[in-house]
Parts: sequence; structure tokens; C-alpha cells
Amino acid sequence: MAAIGRVSDGTLSRPRWRTGLLLALPAVVIFGLLFAAPLFTLVANSFRTQTGAFTLSNYERFLGDPFYRGVLWNTLKVAAMTTIGCLLVGYPFALYMRGRSPRVRNWLALLLLSPLLISMVIRAYGWLVVLGPNGPVAAVLKWVGITPPQLLYNDTAVLIGMIHVMLAYMVLPLMGSLDRIDPTLVPAARGLGAPGWTCFWRITLPLSAPGMLAGAMIVFSLTASSFVTPAILGGPKVKLMPYFVYTQATTTLDWPYAAAIGFILVVVTTGLLLGYARLLRRNNGDVVFQ
Amino acid sequence: MRASTATAEVSADDAVRRGRLRLDGVRKVLGGKEVVSAVDLETEPGEFLTLLGPSGCGKSTTLNMVAGHLTADGGVIEVDGRDVTGTPPHRRSMGMVFQSYALFPHMTIADNVAFGLRMRKVAAAERDRQVAEVLEMVGLDGMAGRHPRQLSGGQQQRAALARALVIQPDLLLLDEPFSNLDAQLRVRLREEVGALQRRIGTTTILVTHDQEEALAVSDRIAVMADGVIHQLDRPREIYLRPGTDFVAQFIGEVNALDGTAAGFTRDGYACRVADATVAATPAGEAPAEGTEVRVYVRPEVVRIRTDRTSGLVGTVRETRFLGSRIRCVVATPAGDVTAALPFDADVPAVGEEVTCEWRPSDASLTAR
Repeated sequence: MAAIGRVSDGTLSRPRWRTGLLLALPAVVIFGLLFAAPLFTLVANSFRTQTGAFTLSNYERFLGDPFYRGVLWNTLKVAAMTTIGCLLVGYPFALYMRGRSPRVRNWLALLLLSPLLISMVIRAYGWLVVLGPNGPVAAVLKWVGITPPQLLYNDTAVLIGMIHVMLAYMVLPLMGSLDRIDPTLVPAARGLGAPGWTCFWRITLPLSAPGMLAGAMIVFSLTASSFVTPAILGGPKVKLMPYFVYTQATTTLDWPYAAAIGFILVVVTTGLLLGYARLLRRNNGDVVFQ
Repeated sequence: MRASTATAEVSADDAVRRGRLRLDGVRKVLGGKEVVSAVDLETEPGEFLTLLGPSGCGKSTTLNMVAGHLTADGGVIEVDGRDVTGTPPHRRSMGMVFQSYALFPHMTIADNVAFGLRMRKVAAAERDRQVAEVLEMVGLDGMAGRHPRQLSGGQQQRAALARALVIQPDLLLLDEPFSNLDAQLRVRLREEVGALQRRIGTTTILVTHDQEEALAVSDRIAVMADGVIHQLDRPREIYLRPGTDFVAQFIGEVNALDGTAAGFTRDGYACRVADATVAATPAGEAPAEGTEVRVYVRPEVVRIRTDRTSGLVGTVRETRFLGSRIRCVVATPAGDVTAALPFDADVPAVGEEVTCEWRPSDASLTAR
């Protein structure tokens, strides 16, 4: 990431600098019009009453209410757990993929991306069937003699559904990172007396930190702001921030309050990610951004 | 582990005896193809032995089986009489330098070098002392705190060497360690490595495709092709008396003359080529009289005489001044013979009739 900043070392001549700007223009326009401007409007709205006067009441209402603070906490918790889940499932998968032939890798990547090819709603309803009381999971549990626990409408259900979707966002950056590791490093460490596990902990894992960091950031922010999957699989009991933004905007029609909830989520998520990036950077020196 | 016990208190006698590598019928199949077939090899302790051959000849595969990164599909690998064929790499005591150097990019040079000592649970103070010592030995004192990417290619190579040597390995394994360096640095570093190796006396196996490098640093060279060792001998023997057609053609330039074996004479083993008789030294068993043979003569050992008209006579076709040598091509009834004459030699005129000569001990002869 820092490397991107280093590219423009001031040696580019002017016409080329202009070409560069021209190339970036479509992205800048789209980003400005469709993201920055609405975000600005959102922030502005969140400080207004329904009639348009300036107020802090929307924030007081949210932060002063233990229920809403609990929702925020739960949202962050589910996002963090999804991130950890993706890391635990995705890391071994990425390691497995690394050793395969390009052909096998393509198929595995397709498998990984397949959840993204299906509509979110259909996918979530699919999980409803799979995890439901008459679904295959419950059937297998009954068959081995275990009374199936409640699998739906709780954090676990949301977690399963989210990990299913988010896995690709974790594995792909991780693969990129693992691919950049010189394949002779592990044999070198082995030859110096390190058993397989030590090689993993001291060589592979630290050198794949940039991929883990990138994957974790994507998964965390996408999960914290996801709506459909938690709404369907979490049912009425699990309520996350995006759900409240939705109900305030569509049911209660309290747009300023919806804006405030949305902005709180943006600020908290961004703050956490920045802090996380800083922490990793400090622990690994500049290796993360080599 | 062995390396840690073999440090200070080992007697000189033991130190001399260490590092005897023996390969017996070692084989490796990769992707359905036998890339190493029945390789036999034995080093003397302290020897610098080179596996030389073109890419794909099985030299790197052989080295990786010695290091333990690949498992042999047959045969036995022994180090100092211990069978290590099935021993995982982290339990063998081998210091390896890779072509890419394989320095750990997230560690400083000091931590890279200390890695093997940490794995051997060497106490911190002793570890720091040994790291400082070995870094000084390879001329990297002052670089301890740098990261690998802050070092030049040559410095990275030295760091990799330091990391391999600090564990006092039974064997030092060098896998094409100079090929990523520019020509000048390559020559300088290989001389340094050669000198260092003679000083510390660790048995060393070098893998390279560069014949000049092999000739320059090795005590002995094993020339490999298609998974087998064609010839294992001292550089001078490999160069002057190639045992197979492959060795003759792979290393340097060679005159190959086809003829018929004519038996031993006072001057060596005689051979009829066209209407002349030449002499050479048989590589291995002397062929029976009358067998079809090929004589290999290096251009450097060919002498041109203008005062004789017997022996291998021909007409000078071309002479060319090459700086250190003068290249002279003589058309003989047995084919063209190239001679590399010293720069101050009397150069024959083009068209002149001359005789080509060499000492029989400087040429080899094999059955065809």
C-alpha cells in the first residue's frame, strides 16, 4: 500500500502526469459522485431533525441507549467472528491451493467464488433449508443420536452464512501473499534445523501477513455492513446495525436517525480498521507493506 | 544434535574425519521420469566436489536428496557412516546456499544467520558471538542490523553463506550460488568461497552448469547428464581426458578424431586416424586392437610443427589472433584439428603444410 505512494517519486514528466490523471478520472468521478457526495449528505442529514434544524439528538439517542449500544457491539462481534472464521477456514485452504497445478487452482478459485454467483437472497434461503429443523444437518445429527440444537435465527446461523460468502474475499488476497513468498524459504529454514511447524510459524505466517491484513479488512467491513444474510438467517432475534438503518429509513421514515446509525457504523468500522492496520504494522516492522 | 556437539571440544582428528558423503545407487523419479538413475558418489572429508551438467541433468535433484528436501526413491545416502536416506532435512546437519539465497526477508541479517543457532537452542550470548564471528568472516560486519533487501546481490550471497556456515554443518551444499551475480562479481565470489572452504575445511558440494566455475574451484568434478554421472575426476583429468563423448563436448572445445585402436606402444596407446598414427591415453579399460575408437584432444594441448612431415599432417586453413591465444585450424585427412597456440608462438602461414602433435597423456581415447 505504501508502495503505491512511492511510485510517484516526482520524476514523471508533465504530459505523462496528465495521462495518469486521465486514466484515474473515471474512477475519481464515480467515487466522487456516487460515494463521497452521498456520504457528505448522509453526515449532514444525521445532524438534522426531521424538520431540518441542526441537532445532536440523533447521536444522543443512539449512544445513550444501552440497547442500541448492544446492537453496535453485536454487529462488531459478528463481523470480527466472521473475519476470524474466514481466516481459520481460508488459511488452510489457501495453503492447499498454493501447492496445486494452475488447472486445479482455477477450479478451486471458481468453487470459492461460486457463492458470489448466486443471489444473496436465494443463498440465504438455501441455508434456511440446510440448517432448518427438517434440513440435512438436523437429519444427520438425529441419525447419530444427537438432538439437533437450534441452528437458525442466532449468531451461529449468521456466522455460517457470512463465512460462506466472505471466504473468497479472504482466500484470494491470502493467495496473492503466499504466492509472493520465495518457495525456497521453507526448505532453507528446514535445512537450518526448523521442523515443519516452526517453519510455518516463523516463515510462512509472518510473510503472509499482508494478505491476512487485506483479507481481514475486506471481510470485516463487508460483514459489518451486510444486510440480507443477517436479516434472513438471524431472524427477529439477531439484529445488526444495517437492519436498523433499513427499518428507520423505510418503516419509521426517520431518515436523520437512519443517517446517524449509518454514520456511526462507518466511523467505528473505519476507526477499528485503521487501529488494526497500525497495530500490525508496528508488530511486523515494514514487512506488511513491503 | 550433531552440529552442536561437534563444535569446540571436538579433537582435530574428528574434525578431519567429518564430512564424508557417500551416495550408493541413489535414484529419483519425478513426474514419471527417472531424473536421477543410480548415482554413486563418495567424497573425501574436506573435499570440494562439484556436480556439473546442463539443466535437467539431475544435479540439483541429487543435491536436494542430499539435503533431504527430496526423498530418494532408491539407494542409500550416508554421511560419516550414518544412513540419512530417510532423515528429514531439519535433522540433517547440512548448510545450504540457494540460487535465490533464500534469506528470510522479514528478519535482519543477524536474525537470518542466528536462525540455525536458535533452532539448536544455543544460548543468546554464545549465539551473538558466533553470529558476529561468521559475519566478520564473510566480510559483512556492520550489516547485522540490515534487512536482506537493503543488501546488494553479492552481500546477500555472503549472508546466505554465513547462515549456512554458522551451524558448522557436516556438509556445505551450494546450489548454483553464483549464477544471479554479474560476471565480475561471480569470479570474485567464487574465489572467496573457494578460499574460505579451504580454510574451514567443510566438505562442500557445488551444483553448477558453469564449466569454468567448476574447473576453477573444485577438487573433483562429477559431470552429470540424463541422471547419471558420466565422469568423476579431478578438473585436469576431466578437461584433458574426457571419458565420454558428452564430457568431451560439454566442457570447452574439443577435437574429436575417429579411428581404429592399434594397441599400446612406447608413446601411449596408438590409434590409426585416416593415414596417420596418433597416441592418446585410454579412458578406463584399453579397447581391444581393431575396435573403432574416438580420440579427444583439447586445442590447448595441440602443437603445430613445421619441421616434420610425418604423423598427423595437414594444411593450415585459418589462423586468428584472439588475444590470449592464437587459434589455428588445420585441415587433416582425419578432419579439422583446432589448435590454441600461445600468443607468442610462431604462427604458421595459411596454406602451409604442418604436423599436429600432442603428448599422449594429454589426450583421451574411448571406444565408439
